[in-house]
Amino acid sequence: MRLSNVTKRFDEFTAVDDLSLEVRPGRVFGLIGPNGAGKTTTIRMIVNITAPDFGRIELSGHPISRELQDRIGYLPEERGLYKKMKVGDQLRFFGELKGFAGRRADEAIDRWLKRLGLTEWKQKKATELSKGMQQKIQFISAVLHDPDLLILDEPFSGLDPVNVELLKEIVLELKATGKTIIFSTHQMQLAEEICEDICLLNRSKKVLSGDLREVRRSFRRNLIALRVEDGDGVLEDRSLLAKIERRGDDLEALLADGVDAQDLLKRLVSKGARVTKFELVEPSLHDIFIEKVSEKQ
Amino acid sequence: MTKLWAIIKREYLQRVRSRMFVVWTILGPLMMVLFTIVPAFIFQIKAGEATRLAILDQSGRMYERVRASILREHSNEAASGSAAAVDALNQNARERVQKAGELIAANYQIEQVSPVGSSLEETKRMLGERVSRNQLDGYIIIPQDILLSGEAEYYGRNVGDVITREQLEESISRAVTEERMVAANIDPARVREMSEPVRMNTIKISESGEEKDSGGLFYLVFLVGFLIYLTLIMYGQVILAAVVEEKETRIAEVLFSSVSSFTLMMGKLIGVSLVALTQYAVWALAFVAFALYGVNVLAERGLDVALPQIPPLLVLYFFLFFLLGYFIYATIYALVGSMVTTTQEGGQLSLPVMFMLVIGFYLAFPVLRSPNSSFAFWVSMIPFFSPITMMVRIVAQTPPFWQIALSFLIGCCTVMLLIWLAARIYRIGMLMYGKRATIPEVLRWLRQA
Repeated sequence: MRLSNVTKRFDEFTAVDDLSLEVRPGRVFGLIGPNGAGKTTTIRMIVNITAPDFGRIELSGHPISRELQDRIGYLPEERGLYKKMKVGDQLRFFGELKGFAGRRADEAIDRWLKRLGLTEWKQKKATELSKGMQQKIQFISAVLHDPDLLILDEPFSGLDPVNVELLKEIVLELKATGKTIIFSTHQMQLAEEICEDICLLNRSKKVLSGDLREVRRSFRRNLIALRVEDGDGVLEDRSLLAKIERRGDDLEALLADGVDAQDLLKRLVSKGARVTKFELVEPSLHDIFIEKVSEKQ
Repeated sequence: MTKLWAIIKREYLQRVRSRMFVVWTILGPLMMVLFTIVPAFIFQIKAGEATRLAILDQSGRMYERVRASILREHSNEAASGSAAAVDALNQNARERVQKAGELIAANYQIEQVSPVGSSLEETKRMLGERVSRNQLDGYIIIPQDILLSGEAEYYGRNVGDVITREQLEESISRAVTEERMVAANIDPARVREMSEPVRMNTIKISESGEEKDSGGLFYLVFLVGFLIYLTLIMYGQVILAAVVEEKETRIAEVLFSSVSSFTLMMGKLIGVSLVALTQYAVWALAFVAFALYGVNVLAERGLDVALPQIPPLLVLYFFLFFLLGYFIYATIYALVGSMVTTTQEGGQLSLPVMFMLVIGFYLAFPVLRSPNSSFAFWVSMIPFFSPITMMVRIVAQTPPFWQIALSFLIGCCTVMLLIWLAARIYRIGMLMYGKRATIPEVLRWLRQA
């Protein structure tokens, strides 16, 4: 899955500006960014709902087309079910729209309903289902036809923790079978747990992208989690530490510019402090997100 | 193609399976039967006693004739009552009231009163008292100069009873007319004989020679128009709702990741239309069964009703132009649906659509008078009017085949164009804002992408 120099404009407004990215097969790709950054527009271009004004979108080497559309499973953020239709019928319909019908479709429906614990709801109408159940049905409609590329836009919003875990487990299983998954969310913690690669969009542009671990490593901001007794004078030294905060049992210290963590440790030890914890903290995706997004504003 | 089929199937099954559809489909013919039988039945109810009337005949020579006239009418009509009941099914409102009056086997008790005292006022007071004591229902005063003035007076408790009033008026004028004739030495019976109206038999001259034509085929044209109108009243909102459904339930985006908006629009239109046709098929069968049964019953009673004979080609044209007309207007509903976000918003927009159809109806008349004029030609090529106007031309004076085909083709292209337009507006509207589109916005969207 590859996007090259993709641009999309609506009237005067540029929703996606010269975006290039590559989603590697068999990986979970996180598309993150604040509201209105262009995530949904990007996804809509990938699933061929709308065409880019410039640039190219390719799926396994072919430009995106109606035929390739059937190889994609899409769970949009804006989603719903036909209110008065039975769950089984809805799933069959969504399957047919992807060219997935007949016995194998029926089997897949039963298998997925069982996996998500909804078997006894098959003959019920959508209105009789709770919101969480409806959401799980929508999830099934996206994965039912065994797509190669699965695009999930905020798949966990509104689900209880048990179901979040269940869906997360399923997503990881799908990944293990070689599916490519694009995952869009605001919940950084979830993105951190699931994604291997990320792309951060802000104001229609790509801000950063790549392997999540490398991204985080490159963002090491000299933040140290400390647990220490005595050696107070060192911690008050503003030429060493720019900032220090108490966080639970720990202290969180930000090194001043040009100071190495190693120097701090040496000073503490030489002043006779008892260090029980000294950890270089990698910034969370959450921190990176906030920093990158607010930096632009 | 399989995707289109999936959408058609869903739209169709969802609606045909719904309880409302089943109820209406069964109730429809039942209502039809009720609407025809119940009025006829009600009219035959004899409510209350005979109407008691007193007649004060100041002329001194009219009483017997008026009495006979009033009583005769009702004994005559009672005999032909069952035949009249059949006619009554197909009359317009005014005629229906008249027929109803005849069907009411009202009878009258009539008595003559002689003047009391010296003045008319005294007699009227006496009669008025009898009315208020409920010994009488009303009285009629026939003045001395009735043959000249042609005026009589009816005093009654229930003058709002139009039927009685009309019957009395008719009876008295008949009596007066006859009396005038007698006065002028004319035999009323001879006049009746001589006033027999002329019946005109119409023969249509066409390429295949002369055929007898009762003009009944012309009703076929109005049936086309009426059916289009009826279907739109019943299903216009359904189409609108079907198009808006995915917006309201927010399924649109899921669908568009699988099918094109054109396929979706097309599938919806066809699906809903098949529902309408299914309903019509059920009703048509019920109607035919009912009609055949009715004809049989009438035949047993000795009344021969010939079912109209329609040439098969005309039936085909009828069907095609009905479908065309229906689809042209149905796609307008789809177009409206693509612009709005809720069904309510679209509801008000149906009036202009109906207006177009009504114009088509009116255009039928000039076209009927000169079906080969260039006016008729152009009007029968305009898609919004052609289903009616072309049918008029076909029935009145069949135009060359190429004209019929061209008119049909233009109609079909219009339908496709409108669906395409609706699909486009729908898709762009959904992607852009998720709000109701204004006309300038729609035009701008159409220019881009």
